[in-house]
Amino acid sequence: MSHALATGAASTRRRRIARFSAPYLFVAVPLVYMTVVVFYPAAREVWLSFTNTKLSRPNGGHFVGTDNYARIFGSDLLWTSLLTTVLYVLGVVAGCLVLGTLAALAVDRPFRGRALVRGVLAFGWAVPGVATALAWSWIFNSQTGVLNRITGALGLGTHDWLSNQELALPSVIAATVWQYTPFVMLVVLAALQSVPPEVREASHVDGADALSRFRAVTLPHILPAIRLVALLLVVWSMRLFEIIYLLTGGGPLNRTSTLVVSLELQAFENYDLGGAATYGVVGLVISLAVTVVYFVVERRSTHGV
Amino acid sequence: MASSTEVIVSEDVAAPSTGAPAAARGSRRGRSRLKLASRYVVVLVMMGLAGFPVYWMLNTALATNAELYAGTQSWWPHFEDLGSLFHQLGRVPLWRWLGNSAFIAMGTTVLSLVLGSLAGYALSRFRFRGKGPIGFLLFITQVLPEALILVPLYALFISLGLLNNLWGLVLADAGFSLPVATFILKTAMDRIPHEIEESAQLDGCPRISALTMIILPIIAPSIAAAAVLSFFAGWNEYLYANTFLSDQGHWPASVGLASFIGQNETPMSAIMGSALVFTIPAIVFFLLVQRKIVAGLTVGAVKG
Repeated sequence: MSHALATGAASTRRRRIARFSAPYLFVAVPLVYMTVVVFYPAAREVWLSFTNTKLSRPNGGHFVGTDNYARIFGSDLLWTSLLTTVLYVLGVVAGCLVLGTLAALAVDRPFRGRALVRGVLAFGWAVPGVATALAWSWIFNSQTGVLNRITGALGLGTHDWLSNQELALPSVIAATVWQYTPFVMLVVLAALQSVPPEVREASHVDGADALSRFRAVTLPHILPAIRLVALLLVVWSMRLFEIIYLLTGGGPLNRTSTLVVSLELQAFENYDLGGAATYGVVGLVISLAVTVVYFVVERRSTHGV
Repeated sequence: MASSTEVIVSEDVAAPSTGAPAAARGSRRGRSRLKLASRYVVVLVMMGLAGFPVYWMLNTALATNAELYAGTQSWWPHFEDLGSLFHQLGRVPLWRWLGNSAFIAMGTTVLSLVLGSLAGYALSRFRFRGKGPIGFLLFITQVLPEALILVPLYALFISLGLLNNLWGLVLADAGFSLPVATFILKTAMDRIPHEIEESAQLDGCPRISALTMIILPIIAPSIAAAAVLSFFAGWNEYLYANTFLSDQGHWPASVGLASFIGQNETPMSAIMGSALVFTIPAIVFFLLVQRKIVAGLTVGAVKG
């Protein structure tokens, strides 16, 4: 009798341990893997920003405190790079949100051929970054590019789109907007389709005009989705590398050198891994700050003030 | 032009203005026709903008080198030159590059799906200490630039002997597709009632087989979406591949194609033809599963 009770207790305990440890067994391997290939290297990069590591000896730097920060913050390149990053991110976010929302509204209602239209509008998102860069560098080509043929025919003159100091950043922004707008469209479209049909019909009967109807009825419904997609656009464009790097290499005169591009140039052209890491940390702090602000605002708006 | 009127008419039928006073109906209809026409113009312009770069890749691939260098490229593709395009493509090691890309992409897919279903299952089915932080850590990967991780990972790969190794690239690339795959799979699992596995567990079925035998078959469409996302994360990846694979025999197509930028030896038609061959599979598969990928990315941010 007592023997049976004891084994019963033991097996309950074993079961309880199993139940407690089960989730950890499932996440253990993914978490170890992510730590090795993402979290540890990221932490290591933060550490590198406090050392004088050079590319020639990537494992042999010494701790130098905040020397890199003093040096980088004292250089013009950081401030150019910060300004470029801010302009680039603002341009990409504004362009993508406006065009993406417009595209979503345009294909929201059913019409003949909508699937085809939606497919074509989503192209940019599916095209690999390297192919995007190749296509746009050919479009922007100052001698034989199609953009100069169009602007020339329209009487707007021909330009060095990627090597002119004023035009390089807008050109790079345009290529990036082309790539990310479809994502905004798809997210906003999903939000639009979840607006209850009664809500829309009610506003139709009122006879309000399209713009005020959009602002009063549709916009509040899709605003959370737009806020979220704005956050993703900010953090993605902060980290976007290959389109800028392949189109302009950060030039002319660092006019398109966002923090991530400066990181790469500092590491592989100046062989200065410590300084490069400092650019990375500055960018990371900004991205994290934007993310935290987003979550605080979002929590406040969902829980009521 | 005939098709445009059809579109407008069918939209009109889809949203009839029932209940409007008869007097107002005439002007109302005129106004709504104007509105639909303007919507149609917006759609056409946006389609032009969205489709043009891909169209121009195709057009350039099928143009003759003489017109490309003279800057007199035709506005319409010479489809009759398709044969000479394949001849051109023979001048670049495109198929070997695509083979390497496919290897990296498949490895990235398998690794992301296996680890992603384990992590997704834990996040979907259990309440445990550390669950919130784990979800947050996975979301944070969206903030981390690859460029930030590049140098420490390079140093790590030197010591592990993983440079110039396609397996090493698989390990590097899946780090960014795994979190999104996890969120896609978790979202799908959240919709499956717990009773399904509980009855299986009463029959003595261990949890891991509940996952593989019961849950995974049900969420097959989401697995497909996660697979497409991971596959093209590996297929498209450039920065790691460009840094870790110095041996040209290991180059994937992303690195090979990027090497064309700024050099004048390869004809532009061959470059654009290669870029198009590299792009078309991505477009086809992404369009098939776009909605589920969008859902995975947004859920990761909302509930991470």
